[in-house]
Amino acid sequence: MCDVATVQKIANCLGVSPGKIQLNEEQVVTRTGAQNKTVAGFATILESMARESKSETAQNSIVTQEVQAQVYQWIEFAVLYVAPGSKDKYVSKQLLADFNKLFISKSYLVGHFITLADLAVYYAIGDLIKSLSPVDKENYLNLSRWFDHLQQRPEIHQGETMLNFTTIYLHNWATGTHI
Amino acid sequence: MIIYTNEGNPLGLQLLVLAKFAKKTAQVQLVNLNDAKHKDLLVLPTLELDNGLRLFSGAAIAKYLLGDEGQRRDEWLEWSTTLLAPALEHHMAVGHRADPNALPVLNGLVKKLNDCLSTSPFLAGDKLSAADLSIWCLLAPDGTLKGAQNVDQLRNWYDKIKAMPEVQQGLKELPIKDLTFNALQQSNRYGGLQHVQLKRSSSVDAGKLLAEAASTVADTVSDEEINAARAAFIYTKAEELSQPRTVLPKPGQRNVLITSALPYVNNVPHLGNIIGCVLSADIFARYSRAAGYNTLLICGTDEYGTATENKALAENMTPREICDKYFELHNSIYRWFGIGFDYFGRTTTQEQTDIVQEAFKDVYNAGYILTESVEQLLCQKCDRFLADRFVEGTCPHPGCGYEDARGDQCDKCGKLVNATELVRPRCKVCNTAPVLRSSDQLFLDLPKSEPQLREWVDRAEHGWTNNARVITRAWLREGLKPRCITRDLKWGIPVPHKNFEKKVFYVWFDAPFGYVSITKRYTKEYLQWWQPAAGTDVELFQFMAKDNVPFHSVVWPSVLLAINKGNTLVSHIMATEYLNYEDGKFSKSRGIGVFGNDAQETGIPADVWRFYLASARPEGQDSSFSWNDLAARNNSELLNNLGNFVNRALVFCEKNFDSTVPQIVLNQDDLVLLALINRELRGYISSLEKARLRDGIRHLLAVSRHGNGYMQTQQPWVLLKGSNDQKARAATIIGLCTNIACLLANLLFPYMPTTARTMFAQLKTKQTPLDANKPLATMLLPTGHKIGKPSPLFTKLEQSFIDELKGKYGGSQAAAAQEQSSSADLEAAVQAQANKVRELKASTKDKSVWQPEVDKLLDLKNQLKKAAPAPAAAAAAPAPTGQSVEALEQAVQAQGEKVRQLKSTTKDKAVWQPEVNKLLDLKKQLEAAKGAPAPATPTAATDVAAVKALEDKITQQGEKVRNLKATGDASVWKPEVETLLNLKKELATLTGAPVAATQTKNKKKK
Repeated sequence: MCDVATVQKIANCLGVSPGKIQLNEEQVVTRTGAQNKTVAGFATILESMARESKSETAQNSIVTQEVQAQVYQWIEFAVLYVAPGSKDKYVSKQLLADFNKLFISKSYLVGHFITLADLAVYYAIGDLIKSLSPVDKENYLNLSRWFDHLQQRPEIHQGETMLNFTTIYLHNWATGTHI
Repeated sequence: MIIYTNEGNPLGLQLLVLAKFAKKTAQVQLVNLNDAKHKDLLVLPTLELDNGLRLFSGAAIAKYLLGDEGQRRDEWLEWSTTLLAPALEHHMAVGHRADPNALPVLNGLVKKLNDCLSTSPFLAGDKLSAADLSIWCLLAPDGTLKGAQNVDQLRNWYDKIKAMPEVQQGLKELPIKDLTFNALQQSNRYGGLQHVQLKRSSSVDAGKLLAEAASTVADTVSDEEINAARAAFIYTKAEELSQPRTVLPKPGQRNVLITSALPYVNNVPHLGNIIGCVLSADIFARYSRAAGYNTLLICGTDEYGTATENKALAENMTPREICDKYFELHNSIYRWFGIGFDYFGRTTTQEQTDIVQEAFKDVYNAGYILTESVEQLLCQKCDRFLADRFVEGTCPHPGCGYEDARGDQCDKCGKLVNATELVRPRCKVCNTAPVLRSSDQLFLDLPKSEPQLREWVDRAEHGWTNNARVITRAWLREGLKPRCITRDLKWGIPVPHKNFEKKVFYVWFDAPFGYVSITKRYTKEYLQWWQPAAGTDVELFQFMAKDNVPFHSVVWPSVLLAINKGNTLVSHIMATEYLNYEDGKFSKSRGIGVFGNDAQETGIPADVWRFYLASARPEGQDSSFSWNDLAARNNSELLNNLGNFVNRALVFCEKNFDSTVPQIVLNQDDLVLLALINRELRGYISSLEKARLRDGIRHLLAVSRHGNGYMQTQQPWVLLKGSNDQKARAATIIGLCTNIACLLANLLFPYMPTTARTMFAQLKTKQTPLDANKPLATMLLPTGHKIGKPSPLFTKLEQSFIDELKGKYGGSQAAAAQEQSSSADLEAAVQAQANKVRELKASTKDKSVWQPEVDKLLDLKNQLKKAAPAPAAAAAAPAPTGQSVEALEQAVQAQGEKVRQLKSTTKDKAVWQPEVNKLLDLKKQLEAAKGAPAPATPTAATDVAAVKALEDKITQQGEKVRNLKATGDASVWKPEVETLLNLKKELATLTGAPVAATQTKNKKKK
């Protein structure tokens, strides 16, 4: 998930030219940009794009050293835990619980503004969220709120179908009880 | 700065070294993520900066502390966390987690490092950077580079960095030998980095660089472990385990009071009940005695209450007789299972009455009792107040009016009913109308004791199982409400309070005091356990299934806190989840599952049952009893692993050394074995200290697995035929194995006491105490010790035998029960299943989800067809297809019509001739069919095509309705629903009676 397609999406979000995105012989994602300069590694690529971009998200992500460090650690977390862990039943449950707890008191992962950290985790966790039932989505209410909030931005959903977070369960009252 | 890390985590060293290079002082704090106070930490190590900011990524910290050192460094940092660290952790994994891919991947990564370092002195160029430090800290632990070939550049670089003063300082605080990538498993709640898939480089194979053997467990044994194993393995005559006649707590010693939830007297316990409380408690108690703690195990039957009264009515006995009868039943079942209670009592004793009444007076005097008036239905004929289930009447909900609604719920509209609101209530026993009486009842003022209780729970809950904590927290979150503790019954303890003499205590007020009163039956000094003197600590372990938790964690402690006499409060609530039977529920009425007395009849020894139940114990989540699993565990773990090892060791000793333990001279291999066994022993002790019985078994079996592996590699049978030196070596091997067999007998004792005693007899020795503070294997049988006659410990469970049992306790009985169940029951089941299917179909379009349920529904419908009385069955008989006269006649007619139409529209013979041919063909078939006997049920002659068409229509209409419903407006979808129902009705008449029956039920429901 933290792969070529995600890098391209994030490049779109930031409004930078993605350059040539591919996997090298170690299966690590690389970006070859202007002047044939190559950068390897998902997090390092995102940092390089942040420096090029004028977008609000990119500017937010490098506002102070502290913010930069936190943004980096969440991008790394997305690569190391969220993306591979989503495929594991046990790990994904723990991830959902952890993020849900985290978003009790936060609207964004770092500071009070959207950063690359949110983007990286958003794209890494997307498939897992998509697989949740309506009841589960409500169980992870804070996480759902964060995700739903991000997906409303056109530069983030990029034309893909939006997930439904409606909490009214039509199927519960509308079936079986033809009263 | 503070570095929070867990023990042995190599990444902790990484942060420490980075901090030293950044000239910052950092203090290392070893923490455990399971600790409640560290629940906010996500990943270890985490660095807390002086400004309070917490960072858990080594790369982020390096960048933050050391600033910009160029893009190459950043790439290496990311490479080390996302590729190198996971590969190192996978490389260290053993057992089922071992990853054969890890070594080739790691070789590739090491090659890349070496290649880079052969072109530049440091990874990111000419200067040392954070990347070098981070990667060095990953390569140092676990001796990864030990024995590696062709990595000279890497080695030079490695030594250069190791010599740096900052690194040396770091190593003083966190020595390499303590660090291992295995520790990453405890560094987060995701189980380390196991979930990260290793990616194999697409370029050519790196070849062999790292030594391969590094991945075996034996190489992970450190020198310290070897030395400890050698020092411990000496013979000291163990003191005998003895227990005084009456066990009492002693000051300054560990005193363990164990209770098992009191089983309710009128049921036969099933396997789930047995493992849930009594067996778990017994295993723990046996361990606790073996560890030398003063241990008292108390249990008994819970006998008061409505259920006993009803059972007495049903069996036409007095409640006392019922209790006597079932008490014996319980007692004999537990005795057969080898449950070693210090005392197995009952709650219908004078001691119980005295203690409960005194406790009540104390609670009352402390001001925790409220009086409130409660309205109840009284049957004057039966002279008793009617519990919800014992009153029936007309459903009070408007529009329902069902006449046989129960006192708690209406079966027709499904709504909850308050017994006092029933219209025209009647007593279920005698059918007379009860009268409404308000009677005063006593309530326990739980809200008043809530603050003390909360404070106590905060302190005590660390020793509880997770489910106990969760359930208790849920109760506390909702806020406590006063709880009624009296009942208008006869079979119970009289309430010693003015105007309440005719009432008794609610069974949940009196039952927990059963623990105390049963202790009093055991010894007059019972207060030493339950109100220990200052200076004497009593730890109370209570075993139960999770449904009993609130009474042990909230209600009873509230009472004891209110009494405030220094009562022993529970320190460890050991709650299990539920045990299912072959993925279903145990059901006495349907004869599904194995009950206490059945286990005895199977002929499988009680010890095997104990072993299996303990290893399938529902710790953490529900588990299932399965016959196949029982057989598999018996055959593979008991017979092939444990039994095989013990028997081989003893037989070798008997045959080759004249049944005498030979001289043991330990060499390195033996010490490695002992060190590995010591690891398991430590695991066993720490599991059992926390009553994690399932884990205990795992460690125990690992000991004998190590033993088997050892014997397999050492091959004493070959050595015995060799030179004198080789014979002496064989002697050591056999002597060591005999000693390990003796250790196993001790470890096995809590789980399988009879088998362990057999083993002790075969070894001619006795049980020895386990030293929980020093879990190291000692020499239990000295050179020269004579052993007895070995014989096999376990027998194989054949699949045919298991299949037979499976049929006896599940399949056939279940089928028999189903056959007997009336068609009414089946109809209800069909209805319920149909509802479920509808709901599922509405909620998801995923066919794979609802298809199984649909299949179940069809199955039920089929059963119903079979069960339905003869006439209906005839009507429902499968419709003869195609060939029936009627169908053919219809077809002929239709075809004739078609031909006529065609002929009228066109003169082209080529068009209508084929149809005419078809018509003639059909007519021929019809004639043939008329000659044959007509089908018995002409009414049911269903036209398949018509049914299919209807079904399609229904599906379409159903889809339409669902879509409409999603829009929400009832006035819009109501008419469409009517159409759908009409269609369904049509289909029902076409396909026969059973579906029609469901349909009428549906109609009633509206």
